[in-house]
Formats: sequence, C-alpha cells, structure tokens
Amino acid sequence: MSDADANDGTSAVEPVTIDDGMVDDGMVDHAVGKKLGVGFWIAVGWLGVLVATVLFAPYLPFNDPDKLAAGPARTGPSLDNWVGTAALGRDGLARAGSGARGALGGGVRAERAAGPARTGPSLDNWFGTDALGRDVFARTVYGARVSLVVGFIAIAFGMVVGGSLGLVAGYFRGRVDQVISFVFFTLLSFPGLILALLITSTFDRTLRTVSLTLGVLAVAPVGRLARAATLVFAEREFVQAARVIGAKHFRIMTRELLPVVLIPMAALALLGMGVAIVAEGGLAFLQLSVEDISWGVIINDGRGIRDLQENPHVALMPIGVMFLTILALNFAGDRVREYFDVRETAF
Amino acid sequence: MAGAHVAQAQLSVRDLTVRFPTGRGTVQAVNGVTFDLARGASLGIVGESGSGKSVTAKTLMNLLPRTAEVSGDVIFEGEDVRQLAEQGREHFWGVKMTMVFQDPMTSLNPVKKCGEQIAETLRYHLKRAKKTALAEAEDLLAQVGIPEPGKRVDQYPHELSGGLRQRVVIAMALACEPSLLIADEPTTAVDVTVQKHLLDLLDTLRRDRGMSMILITHDLGVARGRCDEIAVMYAGRLVERAAPQTLFGDSRHPYTDALLRSIPRIDQPSHTRLEPIPGRPPELINPPEQCAYAPRCRFAQADCLESIPQISGVAGMHEFACFHPANTDRGREALAANLALGRTAAGLEITGSGGSS
Amino acid sequence: MKQFILRRVVQLVLVVFAVTFLTFASLNLVGDPLFNIVGVLSGIPDEQCEAVARGEIPDTQSSGLNMGDCALIAQAKEQNNLDRNVVERYGIWLSDMLSGDFGTSFVNGNEISDIVRERLPVTVRLIVLAQIVALGIAIPWGVASAYRANRGFDKVSTVGSFGLLSIPNFALGVILLYFFALRWQIFPSRYENAGWWSELQALTLPAFTLGLGLAATYQRLLRTDLITTLQDDFIHMARAKGMTDRHIMYRHALRPSMFSVITVFGVNTGALIGGALVVEQIFSIPGVGTELVEAVLRNDPPVVIALISVVAIGFVLINFFVDLMYGYLDPRVRAS
Repeated sequence: MSDADANDGTSAVEPVTIDDGMVDDGMVDHAVGKKLGVGFWIAVGWLGVLVATVLFAPYLPFNDPDKLAAGPARTGPSLDNWVGTAALGRDGLARAGSGARGALGGGVRAERAAGPARTGPSLDNWFGTDALGRDVFARTVYGARVSLVVGFIAIAFGMVVGGSLGLVAGYFRGRVDQVISFVFFTLLSFPGLILALLITSTFDRTLRTVSLTLGVLAVAPVGRLARAATLVFAEREFVQAARVIGAKHFRIMTRELLPVVLIPMAALALLGMGVAIVAEGGLAFLQLSVEDISWGVIINDGRGIRDLQENPHVALMPIGVMFLTILALNFAGDRVREYFDVRETAF
Repeated sequence: MAGAHVAQAQLSVRDLTVRFPTGRGTVQAVNGVTFDLARGASLGIVGESGSGKSVTAKTLMNLLPRTAEVSGDVIFEGEDVRQLAEQGREHFWGVKMTMVFQDPMTSLNPVKKCGEQIAETLRYHLKRAKKTALAEAEDLLAQVGIPEPGKRVDQYPHELSGGLRQRVVIAMALACEPSLLIADEPTTAVDVTVQKHLLDLLDTLRRDRGMSMILITHDLGVARGRCDEIAVMYAGRLVERAAPQTLFGDSRHPYTDALLRSIPRIDQPSHTRLEPIPGRPPELINPPEQCAYAPRCRFAQADCLESIPQISGVAGMHEFACFHPANTDRGREALAANLALGRTAAGLEITGSGGSS
Repeated sequence: MKQFILRRVVQLVLVVFAVTFLTFASLNLVGDPLFNIVGVLSGIPDEQCEAVARGEIPDTQSSGLNMGDCALIAQAKEQNNLDRNVVERYGIWLSDMLSGDFGTSFVNGNEISDIVRERLPVTVRLIVLAQIVALGIAIPWGVASAYRANRGFDKVSTVGSFGLLSIPNFALGVILLYFFALRWQIFPSRYENAGWWSELQALTLPAFTLGLGLAATYQRLLRTDLITTLQDDFIHMARAKGMTDRHIMYRHALRPSMFSVITVFGVNTGALIGGALVVEQIFSIPGVGTELVEAVLRNDPPVVIALISVVAIGFVLINFFVDLMYGYLDPRVRAS
C-alpha cells in the first residue's frame, strides 16, 4: 500500500548502545516486563472517542455539516445508505459521476465571488467554516465516518482474502504456493495508488468499490505475512500432531493454524487501517474517491491556493484530526506488534 | 627492585576498577587490578568468562561502553592513556597499542576486501597513499604467513578460512608496528588444528618485533610456554600472578590449583579423572564482602567469609590473594580441617578424594 | 549469481506480462471495450453505421445520431483491433507498447508516446529528488540516533520519525505548501520550468513532501541495522585500530547496515510513484500523475492503461535492479 511507513518492522527491537555486548558474558541484558504502556491506552482512547463521535454524530449537538443543504435530508446509516447521507443531503453512495465534484467546485467559486461569511475557529464553529460557510468541524466528523468505514472494510477484506490465500499457500506449499505467491507478487508490482486508480477508474466510485479497492491493496501484504507465519507454524509439533491423528486439511488450517497466524495479522490490522485511510485520502486528492465527504475530500476541497491563503483552517483542521488518528493507529498497532513480538511486517 | 620494575614497565596498570550500572544493580566487572608489563614481555591473563579479563583488555583499549565507570590508572610509556584527548587517542590506539579479537569471522568487515582493511589502518594513521598502503598490506599478509598474499588482498573475508582470517586480523593489528599487542582469546574461535600455528605466529612476531603482548585466554595451557608471566583472574580480581613454571609447579591460590587439576595433563595416566570446579561463577552484582571464590573453595575458612583477601607477595615474582593458600602449611591445615568436617566454612560439602559435593 | 540473475529475469518477464495484462484487462474485459473507449457512441447500432457506409444516411448530427460519428467508431475499432479476440488484441497492444508505440488518445488525438516523453521526465526528476532528500536526511539521522541509541537525541528522533510516518503525504504537502510557499513564500507554489534552477526550486517542496516520510522509514530501518552492526566485532576492531567514531560510523558501520534500506528502496519507490500522483496535484506539476488523473477524469482509457503500464513496468524494472544491486553491495550474497 502506498505509504511511507511501509516495511518498518523495526521498533520491536529493543535497542542497545553502540558498545553494549562488549561486556563479558553474564552481565548484560535483563528482560524488561512487557507492557502496552500508557501511550497505547491514550491512542486507543482517542480512537474510541472518534468512533463514538462518529457513531452518534446525528444525535449530538453538532452543526449541520452543510448549511447549503435545502432541507433536513440527512439520515442515519441504513442498508441503502451505508454511511448515511451527509453533505448537501445527497446519498453519499449514489452521487453521480465525476461531474459532481466539478459542479461543487464551481459552486464554491461562485459563492466566493458573492462574498460569503467565512470565519476562523470560534466557539460556534470549533474548526471555523469553509468558503461556503459550512462548519468544518461537522464536516470533519462526518468525513470521519467515510474514512473509518473505508479503512475498516479495506483491512477486513485484506484480512479475509489475503489471510485465506496466505494460509492456503503456506499450508499446501508447492504449486499452490507458487501460484498464490505470484499473484501477491504481481499485486505488489503495481505502485499501490496506481492499482487503486486503475480499479476505481475501471469500476465506479461508490463507497463499496473504493473500500474493496483498498482492500485489494491489502491482500498481498497481509497474505504474505499470513503465508510466512503459516510456513513457520505448519512445522510445529501441534500441527504435526493434528496431522498424525488424521485431521482434515481444512480442520488443521482453521482450528490449528488460523488462531496462531491471526495474532501477527491482528497486530497489523491497526497499522493497515491507517494505511487504508491514508490511501483513501490519496484517492480523494486524485478526485477518484467516494462521492461523499471523507477526510481526504475535505482536505482536498480546502487545499486550493486561494483557499489555503484565505482559510487555511479548512484544510489544516481536518489534517490535524487525521494526523492524530493515523498516529493513534500507528502507535497502537506498533505497541500491539511489539507486545506480541511480531517481526515480519509487510505494510 | 619494585621501583626499578615500575620505571622499566612499558605498561602500568594501577588499581583498575570497572563497574557497569545495569537495571539489576552495579556489576563489579573489574576490581583493583594492578600489574606491570615490561617492554618486550608477554603477560597471560587467564580466567573463566565473567572473570573480568576481557573487560580489562577492553579498558586498556578504550573499548568499554560509555556507561562503564572506570577508575584507576593506565600508564603506557609514561602517559596516562585514560586522560588522552581525542586527538591523542587517534594516534595511540591502533598505532602503539592494538588488539586481536576472538572471532575472526566477525572481526573483519564483511563488505571490505582484506587488503583494503589492512591498508585502511596505514592510510588512516600513517597517511600512506592508497597504492603504497595496499602494497604494504600485501607485505604484511606475507609476514603473517598467508600464502598467495597478492591474491588475498583482493578477497573478501568470507572467502578465507577461519585461520587465514585470523592471520589477516593479526596483520591488520601489526600494520602500524605497535609496541603492545593485546590478543583476546585469539584462537578460541578457530579450528583446533590451526590454534597452535597462530599462537606460534604471534609468539614469533612478538619476539622479532620486540613487541609486548597481553594474551587473554581461558586456557592455562595456551598461556604456558608463551608468556613470561601469567595472571589469573577470578570475579574481577587478580588472584594469582607468577611466572609459568612457578604457577604450574607451585600454585598458591586454590582457584589456580583447581584449574590446574581440571585440565588433562600429558604426564598423567590416560584415565585420570579430571576434577571439575564445584559451583558456579560468582554473581558480580553487589557481591558480599568476602573472598569471591570461597563458596567454591575446598580450603574456605571462616575468615574467608569475613573479608576480601588482597593480592600480596613479591611483585614480579609470585603474588596471590588467599588467606589459606594451597601448597602451604596454612592451606593444608585448612583443607584437613574441612575434610574432617566434611564441609567447608561456606557450606560446600567435600570428600577426601578432593572431588566436589 | 548467474542463476540468481536468470531466475530474476524469468520472474521479471512473467510479472511484466501479468501487470500489463491486468491493466489491459481493465479496458478490455470489464464491460464493453468499445464503450470504454468511445463512451455512449458505442450505443449506435451497427446497422446504422452500415447504412452510413452505404451512403443511405449522412454521417452527421442531422441524421439524428448524437455526434453521429460512425467514422469515429470505425476508427476506434480499427485502432484497438476490436474485431480480433482479446488475446490477439493483448498481444498486438503489448508488442506495440514494447516497441514504443503507445497508441493515441481517443479524446484529443494526442500521441501517447509524446505524452510520456513530455511528462515522464518531470515525474522521474521528482522521484529521484525525493529519494535524494530521503536518503540525505535518513543517513545522517540514522547514524546520529544509532550512535547514542536510547539517549536524548535518539528518543526525540524516535518520536519525530513516528510523527512523520503518521502524516499522510498529501497532508504534509498541504502543510508545506501553506507555510513555505504561501505564508513565507520561500518556494514557488506552482511548478515552473524556466531552466533547471527554477525547476529545482519548484520541485523542492514536492520532493520534501515525498521524501520526509520516506526519510523516517529509512531512518528507523537504518538505526536498527546500525545498532546491530555496532555490536559486531569488526566495529570493536576498528575502534581498536584507533579510528574516530565518525570514521567508524560512516566507513565501517554504514555500508553493512544499508541492506534493509536497500531492500525497501524498490518497494518505496512504488510508494513514491503513488505519492507523486497526489503531490503533482497539490503543486500543479505537469508529470505523469497529473496526466493520468486527467485521462481518467476525461474518460480516456487508452491513455490510462498506457501510462499505468509504463509506470508499472518501470516499477518492476526498478525492483529488479534493486535486487541486483543488493547482490552487488553484499559480497556474501554475490558469492552464494
């Protein structure tokens, strides 16, 4: 996936100074008790607050994320509208083609010419308002819905598909492994965002497609991890024992291997979710993400040079929230990984 | 006599103490080590792992971690090397005093050619041109007995055998013609068959160049015959120091005595039972105020548990740190008393055979 | 070593096929390829066009066909060999691609190879610059933090690198744009190329946008590897040889500690290519990414798949050469 924190499995190693280890044997290195630490709980706390805010946003006394909306068209999530309807009272999933964004841009420009009320952060508008007078805080909260849903679905998809493939490849080895590994290799041979662009440009830009697209990006990294872990564990006695008593392949894979392989995978889920959220933002900057407000969309809307000059808070405020969220996911993920001592990393 | 000895000494170590603060407490790695080394002489430092012998060597080479707390004096050719400024150090270690490490597999940089690594020292310290340095490196390789030195300079360490690599390391150490070479277990990691060759090589080089050498080893047999003097370390302290023939024939410290009994000897019948030393090496964190060897010592008496015996005797002749030295009347009395009780003052059960608990 | 290279070459060829086929498939296997290329025009029934061909109906708007362009359809069919089956089409397309003929845009008729020639160098310069920034920062940073691991500087830098890794590159781009281009006006806010100096200035912020996060990635890897290397005996040996710490860090410890960085160098170039798409948008850089996004937005699939193939093949090649470089840098790998 297209992110800088790729391949960074390093922090789990407790570092030593330049010259430790020169000491004679028997006087170095004492295992420090493993703890998740305060930072982990702060990170989890932030994520919890965020999720709660997002879930209950419609019932909390926030401003309307879009004052331009003619009526109270916003509804909560339903089967038809996964994330509810948000900006402009439109169905986030059903908003038509790329023209819509252009039209919105046009609207912004027209509105600006008329001299709308825009303000910086205040008590009424915690994050200020944008060029159209919309409350940036409310937009950020509603944007979080899409971003978190995308991140969650993407990584869940990656876990299920990549995890299964990796498990099968690592368990059966041989030809099966070669084929699956080649699929992973091919997927990884695309720069992540390019693959996402290819898929979303081929299909559509619904929340479902975007989420699954990013999920496809997660398949290969997760799959490789699962494969590597399976290769290791499949040699262990408990698996051999299951084989000896004649357990079926499926049973061995689901009952014996899955639980142990799941641990390193789970440790990566948090990191992967952060990567997916960032990737969604990247797509939004290419105007290829969902036709709804996500963090990426909000930041992209506020990043024009005039917008930045006149209303930097429109972009910077959601950037701050997004940063804290990614930081929390990365930190929590890193701590979990350290806690379970997961060495192989793929993201 | 002692005064003259100090004046002549190339290296004087006085009351060297090294401590490492760790999470569990302070490790007392080296405690009050004092010795002199005459120009051109060789000293063997013998001890088990954790005895502080390697830490001592690393202290001399200024290789300790920054966390180490060091006190005491190290006077080399009249200069207190621990007080040297950064610039001074650069022209000291690697030039006058060098070291050969235990494992030639790891003590060579894997991504640099052998010749380059030797030449680097020459270029760095003696400001040789690249070509001259490489030629000298080739020459050095020949001196340490490496066949086809012209080919070896262009090879990477992994292309050489362990024995050859250690020769490369030795060549590297000798590059700037040091006056003191510290060899830290130089043969432990190489094949038994080449150990003797390497030790003889070191010995020859030392004599030819009038170099002094400190040979650190856990093997008394290695030090014998190649050193003018042997110092035995236990738990961070020097416990006995003497010329090899004295030490092997008339050891005083019970630890040395036990060490000698635990190695097979050619003059013994082939099925003579070796005597292992009972117990484990001592804890170096917050050790009690007693002789560190007492818990494992067959001679231990009540006074051994009350204070730490200091090393004493005739400097340069025979020194030891023991209240009831072996091969003396005091020692024999102590052993007899313990045998009668069946146990030592430290509670170690002993039997007449001299064996362990 | 020879076998290693041979194996990698076979893999390279296979992956190039797989990657280009996937890309090609997006245009040709998903939905109607004619629709993908000409859009709603593909709805014109064949009979009508045959009638046009016979001269029964004029091929103009007046005939009731919206933009009635049977000629256009015929051209599209011909250019993309739509009368042949998919495998043949793929073969023709790929061999054309490999021989440098990328086809033409169906929307504006531009030669795609011209687009590539014009756009690719800008993106390549951006990515190279970003790697230079990343390595230029990461190496001294990694060395400094490994030198006194777990001390003050290292602790601060761990927090710093963690922070950098958590800023999405587009967010960092917006922040840098706001402060350095708009607020303090140190760098231009838009791409301009009046000579190499102005281009360098214009690419500085984008390169830092891409390079800072990457620098943090490299720094963490380098730091860990350095800490491991510093415990090796040959480092002690170098210290015993009386070399200064700086000399030891850069001349002895650095190279054997670069392998993790090199391993991820290729993969991260992929991340950079993705990042470049976004950063080109933010700083209005006329690179491949901008063209790619424009092509997607104007529904120009031939351009999209050609550009994606070029980028993907380039990426595969980079990884291939990184693998070879790995062998070159570690003599131990070279031997085995």
